[in-house]
Amino acid sequence: MAVISRTLFLTLLLALLALLSASPSLAQSHQDNEVLLQKKVSRLEAKASKNKGVIQLDSLAFEDVMAKPRNYSMVVLFTAISPEFNCVPCLNFDPEYKMVAAGWSKLANKSQLFFSILDFKAGQAIFQKFGMNSAPSVLYFPASSSYSGDASQDRYDFGRSGFQAEPFAAWLQARSGINVKVQRPFDFMGLAVKILGTFTAVFTVTVFAKKGHKIFTSKYFWSTISMIIIFVMISGHMWNQIRNPPYSMPTQQGRSGFIASGFQNQFGLETQIIAVLYSLLTGAAIGLIAVVPRIENPVGQRATVWVCMGMFTLVFSVLIQVFKAKNPGYPFTLMFR
Amino acid sequence: MEKLESLETESSMLMAKRPYLRKEIQLLEQFAAIMSSESSSTVARVLKPTILILIAVVAISSRLFSIIRFESVIHEFDPWFNYRTTQHLVKNGFYDFWNWFDEKSWYPLGRVVGGTVYPGIMVTSALIHNVLHFFNFPVDIRNVCVFLAPMFSGLTAFSAYLLTKELKDSSAGLLAAAFLGVAPGYISRSVAGSYDNEGIAIFLLVFTFYLWIKAVKTGSAFFGLLTALFYFYMVSAWGGYVFITNLVPLHAFTLLLMGRFSNRLYVSYSTFYAVGTLLSMQIPFVGFQPTRTSEHMAALGVFGLLQLYAFAELVRGYIPPKQFKALLKGGIAAVVIIASVGLTILSFSGVIAPFTGRFYSLYDTGYAKIHIPIIASVSEHQPTAWTSFFFDLQMLIFLFPAGVYLCFKELKDEHVFIILYSVFASYFAGVMVRLMLTLTPVVCVSAAIAYSTLLDTYLETSEHVLASTKPAIAVTPATPAVIEAPTAATSETKVAGKKAAAKAAAAAAASAAAAAKSTEADAKAHAKATADGEKKRFPIFNLDSRMLVILQLTWFLFMFAWHCTYVTSGSYSSPSIVLASRQQDGSQMIIDDFREAYYWLRKNTKEDAKVMSWWDYGYQMAGMANVTTLVDNNTWNNTHIATVGKAMSTSEEVSYKVLRQHDVDYVLILFGGVIGYSGDDINKFLWMIRIAEGVYPSDVKETNFFTPRGEYKVDHDATKTMRDSLMYKMSYYRFAELYGGGNAVDHVRNARMPSEGPTLSVLEEAYTTENWLVRIYKVKDLDNLGRDLKDSTAFDKGRVRKVSSLKKK
Repeated sequence: MAVISRTLFLTLLLALLALLSASPSLAQSHQDNEVLLQKKVSRLEAKASKNKGVIQLDSLAFEDVMAKPRNYSMVVLFTAISPEFNCVPCLNFDPEYKMVAAGWSKLANKSQLFFSILDFKAGQAIFQKFGMNSAPSVLYFPASSSYSGDASQDRYDFGRSGFQAEPFAAWLQARSGINVKVQRPFDFMGLAVKILGTFTAVFTVTVFAKKGHKIFTSKYFWSTISMIIIFVMISGHMWNQIRNPPYSMPTQQGRSGFIASGFQNQFGLETQIIAVLYSLLTGAAIGLIAVVPRIENPVGQRATVWVCMGMFTLVFSVLIQVFKAKNPGYPFTLMFR
Repeated sequence: MEKLESLETESSMLMAKRPYLRKEIQLLEQFAAIMSSESSSTVARVLKPTILILIAVVAISSRLFSIIRFESVIHEFDPWFNYRTTQHLVKNGFYDFWNWFDEKSWYPLGRVVGGTVYPGIMVTSALIHNVLHFFNFPVDIRNVCVFLAPMFSGLTAFSAYLLTKELKDSSAGLLAAAFLGVAPGYISRSVAGSYDNEGIAIFLLVFTFYLWIKAVKTGSAFFGLLTALFYFYMVSAWGGYVFITNLVPLHAFTLLLMGRFSNRLYVSYSTFYAVGTLLSMQIPFVGFQPTRTSEHMAALGVFGLLQLYAFAELVRGYIPPKQFKALLKGGIAAVVIIASVGLTILSFSGVIAPFTGRFYSLYDTGYAKIHIPIIASVSEHQPTAWTSFFFDLQMLIFLFPAGVYLCFKELKDEHVFIILYSVFASYFAGVMVRLMLTLTPVVCVSAAIAYSTLLDTYLETSEHVLASTKPAIAVTPATPAVIEAPTAATSETKVAGKKAAAKAAAAAAASAAAAAKSTEADAKAHAKATADGEKKRFPIFNLDSRMLVILQLTWFLFMFAWHCTYVTSGSYSSPSIVLASRQQDGSQMIIDDFREAYYWLRKNTKEDAKVMSWWDYGYQMAGMANVTTLVDNNTWNNTHIATVGKAMSTSEEVSYKVLRQHDVDYVLILFGGVIGYSGDDINKFLWMIRIAEGVYPSDVKETNFFTPRGEYKVDHDATKTMRDSLMYKMSYYRFAELYGGGNAVDHVRNARMPSEGPTLSVLEEAYTTENWLVRIYKVKDLDNLGRDLKDSTAFDKGRVRKVSSLKKK
């Protein structure tokens, strides 16, 4: 009993001492700050948890969040999602960014760092302040730093690291020291498609065993596949795969939107056009070789020859014109000047 | 020009094949009538070699633009290393070359040249050199090296002829030879002076494939052996031999899957694999790779599979079917289990190496960008835009799928090979610009097949008859190889009957016998084709349709030839160590700064001077200036390259330590700001920073080189890190003075430079070439009085100023 009362007394005494040592008049502003900060953090936490770890900002909110009493780091994604900007990389990066943010919001010490998005529409002033003339950009503001537009900023380099979530998470880890595990949302749709596909394949093989056998030993099946692969490859599809160019651009000032300027540059649509041109040309050649000699009627045969050859020459001329558009010094033409 | 001629021969050869004339067709018929069958076959016999020789002449001469414009000089970067090693080989003999340790490169590490090089090209030119000297032709080794690739391009054209002849007929072969002789896709790597492995490797590639097809067709161990020998030559010449190592087994495997296993295949593949692999292991650089790395596993696997299959076939002959079935099932299960377990154990225990980085980047295209900046930084490892395909192959690129289609129509063993080659080569060419080179031969071959089938169809003068009535000559041009022989035989006997010439009869008999041999082999395919009931084929009735097609096609050939000449002359004939530009009055200005600088280095530095530069110029410096280099184009040591990158991209103080540690005497950089040469070091600087950051992340940070707006700037807006970096200082040192203090403009980056240029304290300018393209700096020694170099420089400057001020007074 005596022991308990003594401990109680000691604790009380300690509490009293603590109260006395913190002089209220001196600590007033500090405490206010603390409270303010606490409020801000809890507000941010609430916002973040509502939106899977991402805080949507506008100009005012940005200033508020970045204002000085701050014990947390900020990651800000400057982006332009609205369709009128036609910012393909913005759209590409958006889900990846949110994925990392969602991964972060599951961590214990999540209030160390907040993820936010500032859309161009909502925060033009901030874009101007930072001299941002391209989107998306990601800036990292460590907790200690006071932010200002001209200070050297810690910017995520899309050109080198790419638009994937994993390198972005690694970049963050280098700054915050905390490892964010990127968990890609489980792709139920993909799984369903895969399962369905397997079932269909198995079904087809078992039910139409004989027919399936016929298909897989059929010349036409394999020739179609080979031809498709060849056309896809020679029209520069791998380049698209590796470089991820935009599919097309809005047409402006006499420059067509589907043919990229520059010899070593191309759009997604452009390669498809080229693939179609190539297959028309090849088709015409095959027509001349394989179809024409099968036509018994001389008039019909003549017509077919003229049509095939006409198409061949026309498409070839078009192809050369397209090539000329990319390589203005090219001196040869066929039908068009 | 000789494409026209080849066209003529083709028509004449067609006449030879089907000499009986058709009444309705007027013009062509008359032309054919002039040439009786006998004379035309003689003509063809003379014309064919003539055309081939002319093709070789054109192929060689269209590669000589750079020599005519500049001089007989080795081009670019890698060729300089090959040239240097060839010189060593000629001077010191083969054994010394084999054991050569080159202490003048990769200082202080050195490089074992004999074990890290594909010696094929050096041995070839040394051999040519020695043979010529034996016959008292005192040809300089440099000229042998310069002209080696053009000479081999003639041989390549010839092997394309042989290959295509096996697929269709000799007229298609001549076309293929002509196409490959001038196709820019191949010329890009084989102009005179471009003394690189690819120069001979493409010949070896095509010729090895020809021999392989010949081996599969005949089933002779002799041809299998020849294939292996040329494969060995290829292995000794180019790393791209891996393409053969995988394509040939793939062909064999596909034939197996198609149920086309035959003793021919078994003999040819087994001979090829056994001999070829043993031979390839004699090259030190390859060594035990064929038994260990994954790239070579396919070949081994198919070899094993063929043995098992052949064994099963053997057993089948001795055992009743039911028991055989059970045995087969058990056998397959056992083999699969043993093989998979064995492979897993071996690859996990590290006996079998995983895919090497360069090779892996072919499959996962994002791999290199993230993991190996040094590979990603090389321009020839970039993916191929569609323009490059058209630029390099023009009309061939869309005739190529038509040729593949025709191969599918035929689908004999050799056509399967061409199809596989087409599909895989187009994939690889799409991934890497450099691999256009392996695609070009197959494009030429199959485009030639398509083109010559077109010509066959529209120049045909013979009677077309239904398959049912006259089976021997029923299948017209689509399958000429099959029916060529019987038709020729009948025609020639006819002629013989008419003229009663015993000689002709004998010839006919001989050719018929030879034909029978080949027909036998193809009897199966042929029978199938006729059984399918070839639909009726008719001749082209109207002359105007014929003329339209033929004239158009001829015109396209002209365009192709013009295109090739234009591309070759404009884009692929620059030696890149000598530049040419046009001045405003149209006269040509030769910019020879590189050689000027290297010559200066050779004459003005001590023999063992160490010169640091970015790796691009390592081979050239070693070859032309004969100095010791730190890094060069053989990028085997990433850390060493990163060290150089660090020295270039850090401040003078940090960099000086690195320079001292590596005994660097001079630093050489390229600067194009004065004349607007865009391939200079400031433009490559980002790669240096990136590679350096990979190894020294604490010393170099890429983001510090970008302005807050994310731009890469060199003018007033340049970041402090940028302005402090050694590379920036070296590039713009005294640059403003050139413009009298104001208005200094960097013509590459269109940047107005600050009038106050950077100052250097640890380096001093040693030499700058005429157009400022190359700048050489000498690394200062430690200060005599033990001061900091910065202080001593400042002190020196101060004193100079004092003296001048005194003079004024």
